[in-house]
Amino acid sequence: MMKNVPGSLLLLLVINVTLDAEKIGLRPPGKPVLTMCRSPEKETFTCWWEPGSDGGLPTTYALYYTKENSDAVFECPDYHTAGKNSCFFNKNDTSLWVNYNITVVATNTLGRTFSDPMDIDVVYIVKPNPPEELNVTVMEDKSWPFLRASWESPDKADTRSGWITLIYELRVKLEDDGEWEMHLAGQQKVFNIFSLRSGGTYQVQVRCKPDHGFWSEWSSTSYIKVPDYFHREKSMWILVTVFAAFIFLIAAWLIHMNGHSLKHCILPPVPGPKIKGFDKKLLKYGNSEEILTALVVPGFPPTTSSTCDDLLVEYLEVYIPEDQEMILEESKAERDLLKSEALRSDNDSGRGSCDSHTLLMEKCAQVKETDIGENPVMKEKQRHQQEWNESPLAYAHKDLLSPDMSGGRVKTWPSVFSPLPQQSAATLSQTNPLVMAKQHCHSDSLFPLGSTSSYFNHTAHSTEEAHRHSEFYTTNNHPQKLQARSDLNISNIGYSETPTSLQLPPMQPTSYVEVQEVNRDNMVLLQPAVSKGCCGDGRIDNREDYSKVKGMSSDKVLLLQRDVVSHEMDLSKEQKINGALEADSSSPQVSTVSPAQNKMSPTVDGYVDTAVMFTLPTH
Amino acid sequence: MGVRPTTAYFIVLWIFRNAQSNSFLLSSAWFAVLTLLYLEISMRVGTAPICIYGQAGCPSSSLADFFDRVIQQSSRMHGISSSLHSESEQNFLPRRNFIGKRKCHTYSIPTPDDKENAQRLGREQMIEVILRLLEAWSDPLSQFHLSMSPDQDQDFNQYGSNKALEISDMLHQLREGVTKMADKMKILGALGNSVTFLSPESFVPVSDFSFYKRGELNSVDHHNLLFCLNRDANKVKNYLRVLKCTTFPGTDC
Repeated sequence: MMKNVPGSLLLLLVINVTLDAEKIGLRPPGKPVLTMCRSPEKETFTCWWEPGSDGGLPTTYALYYTKENSDAVFECPDYHTAGKNSCFFNKNDTSLWVNYNITVVATNTLGRTFSDPMDIDVVYIVKPNPPEELNVTVMEDKSWPFLRASWESPDKADTRSGWITLIYELRVKLEDDGEWEMHLAGQQKVFNIFSLRSGGTYQVQVRCKPDHGFWSEWSSTSYIKVPDYFHREKSMWILVTVFAAFIFLIAAWLIHMNGHSLKHCILPPVPGPKIKGFDKKLLKYGNSEEILTALVVPGFPPTTSSTCDDLLVEYLEVYIPEDQEMILEESKAERDLLKSEALRSDNDSGRGSCDSHTLLMEKCAQVKETDIGENPVMKEKQRHQQEWNESPLAYAHKDLLSPDMSGGRVKTWPSVFSPLPQQSAATLSQTNPLVMAKQHCHSDSLFPLGSTSSYFNHTAHSTEEAHRHSEFYTTNNHPQKLQARSDLNISNIGYSETPTSLQLPPMQPTSYVEVQEVNRDNMVLLQPAVSKGCCGDGRIDNREDYSKVKGMSSDKVLLLQRDVVSHEMDLSKEQKINGALEADSSSPQVSTVSPAQNKMSPTVDGYVDTAVMFTLPTH
Repeated sequence: MGVRPTTAYFIVLWIFRNAQSNSFLLSSAWFAVLTLLYLEISMRVGTAPICIYGQAGCPSSSLADFFDRVIQQSSRMHGISSSLHSESEQNFLPRRNFIGKRKCHTYSIPTPDDKENAQRLGREQMIEVILRLLEAWSDPLSQFHLSMSPDQDQDFNQYGSNKALEISDMLHQLREGVTKMADKMKILGALGNSVTFLSPESFVPVSDFSFYKRGELNSVDHHNLLFCLNRDANKVKNYLRVLKCTTFPGTDC
């Protein structure tokens, strides 16, 4: 027990000391922290650490490292070169592409503390020194100055051997402005700066970086002053101003030239009242009476007495001349005569369409059919129109349009070109499309009845004939009224049976016949129909003009005998009639019969009015 | 220019065939023929032999330009490998402790690890080292590319697979380029005749490949591989640069 006393006393002392130390605040060192390791040229490197608390006691720091794949621990070779709390690894101790595991140990009397280890590879911790010898000069380029900056690589970095490759960056700033302008220069050591402000002072700095590493610090600033070149800038502005003024002048001139149209485009004029003959100013200043009287414009609405031209209404005037000469149509030789007749009768107004050669007998027949009471003209006109559209016939009228014939009275003859329909064309051997002239509203009769025949070719006879045929037909044994019709069917029938040559006698729409009776001799007695008037005039020819069928020739020709009350017919002239005369003996039908000549008034020349007669081509 | 003359020929033939009656067409066909002939003759590319031998009429920097292109290629390869490595590092961060135990399969290839050693090495050996390094990586890279399975670690694997393919192509091109360059240098006399390029088998011992269990690379292996690849790419780039500046001391160095 006596021997244990010094041991226990010692223990107590130690505990006392430590307790005292803790009372004072002495502790083992705090943990140091390795802040960074850097290599300036990829040949050496330095590591720095931050010491922890020293615990109140003098603390020593030691750096230990191990290399990759080796367990040997080495201590830092140089603590002083790089300053306090640093470790400098020289060339001999530096190995590239090798991982270093570095630890710093803080030691004091109370203990030691290890820092966290740091793994580094020297290749990736390169931070070079800033570039050196930055030199900035002003270069003149046709009085547009620019700066040229040049520098050198940092001294220690060995770019010459290719061991390290640096890229550079430049920054420029006007002295008083706040913003730096960055420029990457790549591997070159020269750089040009343009767009300078004249008379300004610039600061230039440069830094560098290896391809995988850290940027260096900025180099020292280099100041440069740019000389004034204001006058050159001004000349450019003068040019710009002149050019702009020139453009402006051109634009102004253009606007001035097109001002009117532009005004119309932008501000279209407000439409005002447009009444013919009405003075607009009356609306402004006149009183109501004046306005009303002014509104009554003479000439509106147009009355019927206005000229046809204004209305452009085509209507047919139907006129039945009483003293119409009957011309027996025989041959072309009569044409001249007809022409002369036309001339003679040229000044006769009121000669209706019926007088024109262009109108067929059918037309006139239609007229007879209609009630001429109210508006015969218009009705006929309408039907005429329709008929013409449907009509397969087309008429050539060579002489119609000749101004000689008209003598100046006739207006333009709109010609209607209507080709023959298939049906009729097939049957006709000669299908000359003839021009059909529609009569204008102002239809002076240019052509007397007799002249119509001149306009038809021989070849086209059939067409006319057929047309004619359509008008008249009668059945056998039926004393019935001969109805004049212009059915297409009938005309077609007529086509199929008609011989080709036909001369259409001049139109005399005024007359038509009706079968009175068929007597024993197979003669058809025709008489004009009493009930129907003709051609708008309302004039009915009540004379019993009829022609007796004289006989039948062998070739199906009906020979009509004029049985004129007042006149002797020239029976010497036979009239060949297109007849749908059937050869059928059983029923001697007279399908088509030439109408009797109603108008028996002989002309001076003794011709029978062939308006109602037409010769039939013999088959 | 192979297709154009044939089509032109056929067109002219057709014109001739159809233009017999028409003199205008005939003359235009003749004109076309003459124009084509002129174009054919004038558009022949003028060729000049590529300067290899450093002769008098040659621009002397042709090999240097080739060198530059090779260096650019190696720089690109290194850029891709470092981006791959950083990507992998982001995904692999929790396992940082294993880094210290890493061992690259190319460690057996002796490479200079500082400037003096590199400069002491000489051109021939430098080229040899470069080629050995490049050769050692062709197989593991293809293995790496194949082993990037989509099921684990989706984003990185997709990215890594594409990049791995890219790097293997670049590696292959680089190998060819360096070999060609070495041949050129040999012809120029820049390389001594002592250079003997060893056969590929002798570059890296086969045993080193056991490092990567074939077909069984996991993510740890991936990360290690990328780390090693990054480092070796950097080595190659650096060695090439040193080689260039010692062979062609010029303005770039």
